[in-house]
Amino acid sequence: MNRSKLLLLIEVAIFAGIGLVLDMLSINLWFQGGSISLVMVPIVLMSIRWGLVGGLSTGLIIGILQILAGRAYILYPAQGFLDYFIAFTVVGLAALVRHKVLQARNEQRKGKMITYIVLGAVFGGLFRLITHVIAGVIFFSEAAEGKNVWIYSLVYNGGYMIPSIILTAIVCSIIFVAAPRLIEHRNNV
Amino acid sequence: MMEKMIFGRYIPGDSFVHKLDPRSKLVFVFLFIAIVFLANNAVTYAVILAFTLVTILLSRIRLYFLINGLKPILFLLIFTFLLHIFFTKEGDLLWKWQFIEVYEEGLRQGIFISIRFLVLVFVTSILTLTTSPISITDGMEVLLNPFKRFKLPVHELALMMSISLRFIPTLMDETDKILKAQMARGSDISTGSIKERIKAVVPLLIPLFVSAFKRAEDLAVAMEVRGYRGGEGRTRYRQLKWDWRDSLVIVTLGILALLLWWLRS
Repeated sequence: MNRSKLLLLIEVAIFAGIGLVLDMLSINLWFQGGSISLVMVPIVLMSIRWGLVGGLSTGLIIGILQILAGRAYILYPAQGFLDYFIAFTVVGLAALVRHKVLQARNEQRKGKMITYIVLGAVFGGLFRLITHVIAGVIFFSEAAEGKNVWIYSLVYNGGYMIPSIILTAIVCSIIFVAAPRLIEHRNNV
Repeated sequence: MMEKMIFGRYIPGDSFVHKLDPRSKLVFVFLFIAIVFLANNAVTYAVILAFTLVTILLSRIRLYFLINGLKPILFLLIFTFLLHIFFTKEGDLLWKWQFIEVYEEGLRQGIFISIRFLVLVFVTSILTLTTSPISITDGMEVLLNPFKRFKLPVHELALMMSISLRFIPTLMDETDKILKAQMARGSDISTGSIKERIKAVVPLLIPLFVSAFKRAEDLAVAMEVRGYRGGEGRTRYRQLKWDWRDSLVIVTLGILALLLWWLRS
């Protein structure tokens, strides 16, 4: 196994751990019982630092860790699969802005860098929101057949996801611009 | 603020359920989530409820821990119960107060779905309460082995899971240390306006991330000098043992499924 791949595996593992710790921390910091958390920050970081593989695998590990930690609620097979195996993983799609962010970094253009970081965080976050909304529809559709299940799910999931996405976008752009070495891994080690 | 933060809900013990192999518990929970949906009348729901109660007794987990696990989704449970009660308008009218009408079928469906959610939350909780996260990871790795054929990097995933689990307590300590250090300097992320809190998060995250990259590099070097080459031919420190109890659990689950199939309407 080459050095770069080993380092990728280990960084993904440790940053998934950070994601979970930040997720647990949120309960004490923000609204009581809400899930407005910084969990997506490490996923966006790994997406930009390592690309798609890094981002997707960090998300997947965070999702599985939620189950191991007993923080997962699986009430329907499809809902459990979407909420824990897919939802966090798709945040890694933020990697699509990777090259633009690194390019802006090399050109020393902070404005452009912030724009793309925000774009990436919002993009990844929206995919997570969509996944949770679909999982929610599966959950609600049995209880309220033919009723406004999409609305229920959107209100419930959007209620914490939209603030989370905004928070992630703000925090990521502040941190990555202030400490750009975080998003560049050294290929030569 | 970290004192309350504990990773996982595992409570060590030596009950029947504690002694089971993680593989049999994982297969059990996985199949149970599907089997529960066979229940569709009072008898089948009673059977499932009784089965779950026996499982709880066998795990010797105090009810307090199970009830505690319900808290985060209590709102959802009550909400879906009410949805059923108010929106299902079949059967006899049981109760009416102004525009609120409760029908027999609605009450029945509401109770059934609540039992199902309760049972599912209890059974998945028993898994995480009686099995340490690292054993669950070991079990998952073995169970997912067949998917290696479809290029699923099972070994790498399991390795990442165990590294994460190993580092989570360390990362919690680290987060706590940085939080306290920043608090000592007058920065506080749990008070102030949203803007102030976000500003206070930055001096927490940057040192946390920088030290995490340092740890990752140290571990990579340590693994490399010890000759880590990946999954091929690796032996294990933690061995899994499947014994008669595990087979018994799977057989019992099969019987439950047949019983529900036979009793359902």
